Amino acid sequence: MSGFEHNQLPPRQVDDAGMPTVRIEGATKQAIEVGRNRLLVAGAFFAIAFTLVAVRLVDVAVLSGLNEPSVAREAASSPLKKGRADIVDRNGVLLATSLSVPSLYADPKDVIDAEVSARRLTSVLTHLDPVEVAAKLRAEKRFVWIQRGLTPRQQYEINALGIPGLHFQREERRVYPQGSLASHVVGFAGTDATGLGGIEKQFDATLRDGAEPLALSMDIRVQHILREEVGRQMAAFNGIGGAGVVLNANTGEVVAMVSLPDFDPNAAGVASDDSRFNRASLGVYEMGSTFKIFNTALALEAGTATMTSGYDATKPIRIARFTINDYHAKRRWLSVPEIFQYSSNIGSVKMALDYGAEAQRDFMDKLGFLKPVAVELPERGAPMAPKPWRKISTMTIAFGHGIAVSPLHLVSGVATVVNGGIQWPVTLVKRDPEVRALGRQVLSRKTSVEMRKLLRLVVETGTGRKASADGYLVGGKTGTAEKPGKGGSYARKSLLSSFVSAFPMHDPRYVVLVMIDEPKGNKESHGYATGGWVAAPAVKRIIARSAPLLGIHPFDEESPEIRQVLDIQSPPEKGRKRLASF
Amino acid sequence: MIRRSMVLWTILASLFAVAMFLIKHEVQVREARLDALHRDILASQEAIQVLRAEWSYLNQPVRIESLIRRHMDLRPTDTTQLGGYDALPVRLSDASDQTEVAQ
Repeated sequence: MSGFEHNQLPPRQVDDAGMPTVRIEGATKQAIEVGRNRLLVAGAFFAIAFTLVAVRLVDVAVLSGLNEPSVAREAASSPLKKGRADIVDRNGVLLATSLSVPSLYADPKDVIDAEVSARRLTSVLTHLDPVEVAAKLRAEKRFVWIQRGLTPRQQYEINALGIPGLHFQREERRVYPQGSLASHVVGFAGTDATGLGGIEKQFDATLRDGAEPLALSMDIRVQHILREEVGRQMAAFNGIGGAGVVLNANTGEVVAMVSLPDFDPNAAGVASDDSRFNRASLGVYEMGSTFKIFNTALALEAGTATMTSGYDATKPIRIARFTINDYHAKRRWLSVPEIFQYSSNIGSVKMALDYGAEAQRDFMDKLGFLKPVAVELPERGAPMAPKPWRKISTMTIAFGHGIAVSPLHLVSGVATVVNGGIQWPVTLVKRDPEVRALGRQVLSRKTSVEMRKLLRLVVETGTGRKASADGYLVGGKTGTAEKPGKGGSYARKSLLSSFVSAFPMHDPRYVVLVMIDEPKGNKESHGYATGGWVAAPAVKRIIARSAPLLGIHPFDEESPEIRQVLDIQSPPEKGRKRLASF
Repeated sequence: MIRRSMVLWTILASLFAVAMFLIKHEVQVREARLDALHRDILASQEAIQVLRAEWSYLNQPVRIESLIRRHMDLRPTDTTQLGGYDALPVRLSDASDQTEVAQ
């Protein structure tokens, strides 16, 4: 009541109400009036406050209801928190996946009888030593790992034993169900699920937060065929390594890629450095005669040689301290198709000297042979090209020495030469057939068509006869390079034998390369270890086995349409010197 | 008057209280069920993932090939076994049917 004193309200108020009968009753009346006014103010305040609350309530419950339910819907639709994304092949076959696997640990304080427990446990985990396990179970710790990464069956059986003190912990683990089949492409991830090689490393960030599986361009069936056939030749000729690539000539997609020896990505930690080395993309080699494909293509493109011109290959070429000779020496005048067919070094060198170093360097650059292949792998080898590009380099590069490229470079270059002259970027990721990638025309269509004929000629009648898979119109080129030994000299006995091919040659769809590192001749090959003996038969089997899977049916090799596309119009005959004067 | 409205409000308030309790309880039950379902889905998805890995493992081409070698008589297709419609000889008996087959 003490608050009333300083509230001096004038009596005038009552008169204004027009009720003269009511009289002011002093301080009491005044107090009531004050109280009423205060109530009014407080009531109004609360009314406004409640109205605001009500408005907000309607707003939250009804008006903004359109945005609200997303919370509930999200909770229902994405309960999945998966780990690293899967990697699959082009047909969806699982190549790498993340599994949540149980790991077994023990709390030794809770273990009642270490010996008995260990004995019973090792009846399930048979590869463990009971004595060691018992020692672990007696340890003076509260936590000791027994076994990481159990199978669901093992977990069930251990649970069924009911040993106290044993516990499971779930851990994410990368699993490669196809084992070593695509080890160099898929790569591998470490225990903490970080990519350490191959696609796993290249796409580490994408795989980490991607729920969608990553589809590769590989076809696991073709990969298996390639791996088996390369492995078979490697074993038959006692090679130290091998590589193989199957490339889609019209899209640049790698359908299969192997490097032998390979490793099991499930146990990548124990793999040797040699088996982890990707010979197909990281290794760079002087490819030898397969480079005559590019040499001849360039000569035809530059116009310094034609399908009917030729060169004198009677005498070896001597330059500085080198002598360039022919392996299958004919010691006569050879036409351009013959130079290619018999793989004449002398003829090739003369062709190269005609178009010159500048044109050669430019062409190698356009084919991408002077920088690492732009493929989605961290393991990409940088080519070794001569610097400066001297005359001797031009001469040796004509037959594939003096420049070292990776096998992927080689197949990509051959694809360009045979597919109409378009260079597609090589990729390991499946391309959407609707979206055409950007290809660059680096060679004329005319040259490409002529090169198809030459490549077919090699398989029909030249050094690559053993690659002829019936009906698939295989064309290709052998390559037998001497590997550089110590001190820069070339070792006669350590070879790099390869065969690069395309099929079906009248309209090439796929390029196949087989390369065997340091093959030794055997009885069946009469001691030969050349590309024609070592790699060509593998190519034949690879094509014959995988063509049906790739959707290519056999063709009638003698049909007039195909003969017209692939026959060289004026077939090489004896006494061709006459033609050279044209 | 005041008493009557008081009764009304009291009834209303207790009705709301009961309704609120029931709804809240229902939501809790449903949330628990949702959680359980999510756990089930996750467990199933994990199981599916394991099965998919196992399926891929069991379908290793090397394994399939060795199984076929052991149990079946299948061999790689020879090119002579493949052919197209146009390679078929003309059927003499029914000429109209034949054109359809050859497209």
